[in-house]
Amino acid sequence: MSAGIRRFAERYPVGMAGGAIMLLVVLAAVLAGVVSTHDPTRTDAAHTFVPPNAQFWLGTDHLGRDIYSRIIHGARVSLAVGIACSLIGGVAGGAVGLVSGYVGGRADTVIQPTLDIMQGFPLLVLALVMTAALGPSIETVVVAISVPFIPRIARVVRASVLSIRETSYVEAARALGANHIRVALRHILPNTVAPLIVMSTAQLGSAILVEASLSFLGLGVPEPYPSWGRMLSVSAAEFAQRAPWVVIFPGLAISLVVFASNLLGDSLRDFLDPRLRL
Amino acid sequence: MWAFLARRLGLAAVTLVGMSIVIFVLLRLAPGNIVDLLFQSAGYVDPVEKQHIMHDLSLDRPVPVQYAQWVGQLLHGNLGLSYRYGLPAWQIIRPRIPVTVELAIMSIAVAIALGLPTGVASAARQNTPVDYGFRMFSLAGLSMPAFWLGMLIILVLVRAFGWIPSMLYISARVDLRAHLLQFGLPALAVGYRSAALINRMTRSSMLEVLREDYVRTARAKGLAGRAVIYRHALQNALLPVVTVIGTEFAFLIGGLVVTETVFNLPGVARYLVEAILWRDYPVVQNLVMFIAIIVVLANLAVDLLYARLDPRIRYT
Amino acid sequence: MIEPRPFRWALGALLVCALGIGSAWGATVAPKAGGVLNAMHREDPPSLSIIEEATISTNWPMMPCYNNLVLFDPMKANESPATIIGELAEKWVWQDDGKTLVFTLRRGVRWHDGQAFTSRDVKYTFDLVREAPGIATRLRLNPRKQWYAQVQSIETPDPATVVFRLKRPQPSLLMLLASGYSPIYPAHVPAAELRTRCVGTGPFKLKEYRPGELIEMVRNPDYFVKGRPYLDGIRFIIIKERGTRIAALQAGQLDVTMPQEGTKTAADQLRKAVPRMVFIVTSQNINDNILVNFKRAPFTDPRVRRAVSLAIDRRGYIQAVRQGGAIVGASMQPRPWGVWGLLPEALTGLPGGGDGAKGKVDARQLLTEAGFGPGHPLRIVVATRGIALYVDMATFVIDQLKQVGIEATLEQVESAQWFAKLTRGDYGLGANLTGIGADDPDANFYENYYCGSPRNYSDYCNPEVDRMIDAQSQTLDPTRRRVMVAEIQKRLEIDGARPILGWDLDYVAMWPFVHNLVPHTSVYSYARFQEVWLDR
Repeated sequence: MSAGIRRFAERYPVGMAGGAIMLLVVLAAVLAGVVSTHDPTRTDAAHTFVPPNAQFWLGTDHLGRDIYSRIIHGARVSLAVGIACSLIGGVAGGAVGLVSGYVGGRADTVIQPTLDIMQGFPLLVLALVMTAALGPSIETVVVAISVPFIPRIARVVRASVLSIRETSYVEAARALGANHIRVALRHILPNTVAPLIVMSTAQLGSAILVEASLSFLGLGVPEPYPSWGRMLSVSAAEFAQRAPWVVIFPGLAISLVVFASNLLGDSLRDFLDPRLRL
Repeated sequence: MWAFLARRLGLAAVTLVGMSIVIFVLLRLAPGNIVDLLFQSAGYVDPVEKQHIMHDLSLDRPVPVQYAQWVGQLLHGNLGLSYRYGLPAWQIIRPRIPVTVELAIMSIAVAIALGLPTGVASAARQNTPVDYGFRMFSLAGLSMPAFWLGMLIILVLVRAFGWIPSMLYISARVDLRAHLLQFGLPALAVGYRSAALINRMTRSSMLEVLREDYVRTARAKGLAGRAVIYRHALQNALLPVVTVIGTEFAFLIGGLVVTETVFNLPGVARYLVEAILWRDYPVVQNLVMFIAIIVVLANLAVDLLYARLDPRIRYT
Repeated sequence: MIEPRPFRWALGALLVCALGIGSAWGATVAPKAGGVLNAMHREDPPSLSIIEEATISTNWPMMPCYNNLVLFDPMKANESPATIIGELAEKWVWQDDGKTLVFTLRRGVRWHDGQAFTSRDVKYTFDLVREAPGIATRLRLNPRKQWYAQVQSIETPDPATVVFRLKRPQPSLLMLLASGYSPIYPAHVPAAELRTRCVGTGPFKLKEYRPGELIEMVRNPDYFVKGRPYLDGIRFIIIKERGTRIAALQAGQLDVTMPQEGTKTAADQLRKAVPRMVFIVTSQNINDNILVNFKRAPFTDPRVRRAVSLAIDRRGYIQAVRQGGAIVGASMQPRPWGVWGLLPEALTGLPGGGDGAKGKVDARQLLTEAGFGPGHPLRIVVATRGIALYVDMATFVIDQLKQVGIEATLEQVESAQWFAKLTRGDYGLGANLTGIGADDPDANFYENYYCGSPRNYSDYCNPEVDRMIDAQSQTLDPTRRRVMVAEIQKRLEIDGARPILGWDLDYVAMWPFVHNLVPHTSVYSYARFQEVWLDR
């Protein structure tokens, strides 16, 4: 495993850089209390709209809150939501794809159209409706974003399973008397891990973007969780003149994290399975 | 061919029915309904009056009955009455559709105009600074939230030119130049992401094709290098690009929603959010079905186009 | 904040004079006819029916379409009984020691569809609102039914006379009728239709409503005041995002701000960008307040209630959340904007009106007495609507409560559930805004503080205060009445019925070519646009 990582680092320095940035962001999020300079929820009437300076590294917003600290704490939410959605989507999607591909037959004919239906909704629209249905909360946001991932991942895993199912390797294992579950888990699953990892990493970026969009529209994680998307829920025209830093930095944070995850994801894909090239 | 088409259409129909049920049920799961919202503006809730209004709007009937009513109305071409405005839902939706359609078309145009040439240039100059530059540029496009890009555009315009884009909708008939400007900026914000995807798609499929034997053969036959690239590789590389445009459609709508909000365009995508917040069931149901139909048709069209364009694929 | 207080008083008085002079000056230059006014609007009105709604979002675009019996003089900024003029009523007289009000109506007035206006329409309108026994139609929503609870009957001896007979004297009745919330509806049009269209007698007719985009009014050529209106039309342009609205005003795409939407920060920004923009500072008759659920622990304990009120520094709130664009006050709009407000000296003695730091010390003390402390902190949830301003309010309050050891979290409630939640009593603390339709104790107290009123969300109930409210409502002598109302206000603050964080100011901005649009000390009643003219 560590040999694999070293090989990866040698051949894909850009991907490693992305990974390093992600790690840095995760660390900052975990150590948010230590890394931030102020309490992210503390309002300060005397210091509203302060431009970036020594005291407030990235300036303050309309309530006098320190933007840098809010961005650090916002990382927690964005990463938590992103990772949770990727994991849930990956695990659930993987399971569904595995079953659908391996068992086939009637299970497949039922699962396939269901996946089609789930996939038919644009990501944001489904998330919107679900948030409206279940009320805005962090759990709802995670569910709302994970659900559309499942069919996408299931599809990829299913294709992978289908291509391996009929190989002689598997037939041999079956001939030797291994039962279905054993075959599925020991022989097929490991070969689907590569596309699964690649898809999940790609979905991490999507999850963060959709969460930001939901928060921007006012339907994402509610107060008191600071959210990068909600920090941007202001009028560009108004803040352009008064306090452009309020608009620039949270968006930069989102873009940086998604960029890093995309870099990492791209390189991982090239490394693990060049056939999935997009 | 016809069997294939029939099967796909059948699948599409089943998908649409399934989606309609999902959307119908999800909306009614939401706590609080339109009646509570109507009271909100008056600042109080009276249980007796609430019952009256719910009965007026048929909200007190069981959910399957309401569903049957809705489907029945749809089949007669009746899109129902908007709960919030008290006006026919079609009257609310119709003027907004051209706005969103226009923005969508302009975004796709921007995406193709930006993505295709840069993808080709990237593939032609693989691993040169030009290539790396375009790749970083497109990766950035996939990483930026569309609404933030829109906000940045406004930020730059205000700081650099002291100019704010019009926040009131200007019809093309009234002032064409202003209208194009009003739509061009958000189209840029929305199209950038799709441009990035098209760029990557074009680049990778062109690279793949460039490696193929027949291109080498064509080169050996002495055709000019440039012509080789553009005529043979591009034609075959277009196939996956078309796929991307089709599948991107669904994601495009998300971009339209937020960009219409940032630029204050009276479009259908943005209105969907409001209708959801207002629990305006007739409008939401019809709009989402509308979007679903478009997405399903787009996927179908892409599948068919794919099947037609690539002779290697048999109708499976 | 300008200290010391006498200067603030003087400044206020000066501003009021300036308003008066301003409106007088506006009236001396000869008005020009023609032109279309582009007015700002922040959202779709919930419906077009003024009587069925309780928001400026309906009054602002729809008042041009209707007339009242009487109205506050559009040209006078301070609303009071002295500024009431007749619209559809030519004259009126009190009889029976204030128990009967007789109106003589204007003749020759026509509805927009050509039908004649008569006393029957007046009777119909107010029978509808008061839900008179035996009336055939019902309003879908009726927020101000309480206003006419003292009306015994309405008689129409002839087509030009209306007689209101009251169960007991109510001098406020005239103020209530003069509010923008009291238009006259046509008896021949079903009330439900008026939610989506307008049939009135007013200076403008509704030309078009494009939901989400604009509401367009066009001049009524048959208006009963000859030579009015001056404008050819008004376009209320709907822009949902506040900053975008201000940007559009700055760029000249809009001509004037909407009442309630003129913030101090926006005014500061506009002043720098457009030096020739005209600014008028006035009050809104809207206050920011905290709803305390009297029926839910721990707020059943008066010490906890008082501690919450003491912990919130009012001046700090005004600075942080309103950027200085509000003033401290009790339950009636403070002077010099409102006539009934308590004097500043009286306010300092009440919770929240004094020193912020001392208030927090007292709060901590009270909490300890109530059994809460560092090892056993009070945990509460502050609920609010998912609108930026409300969230900012709640955020500030939570921060203040944290400073006295109360651990508060924010619950953002979707608009769809907000009032239902409040009515159910399903909340602990709530951040809220309350607008009052006229600067009158009856318009305020019965709705918000009377036992059992649907909009008394806190479930505050003090029978003695109810008696005081009823007593002042019947008192004809204005001096005596003022003393009684002052007493009620003090009681409400001491009881912590609804801690008022601040009374909002409106920084109305308009381009200098807009004339005769005079903002009043209350947002709800000046949008008739009859006298407005443009000089582009």
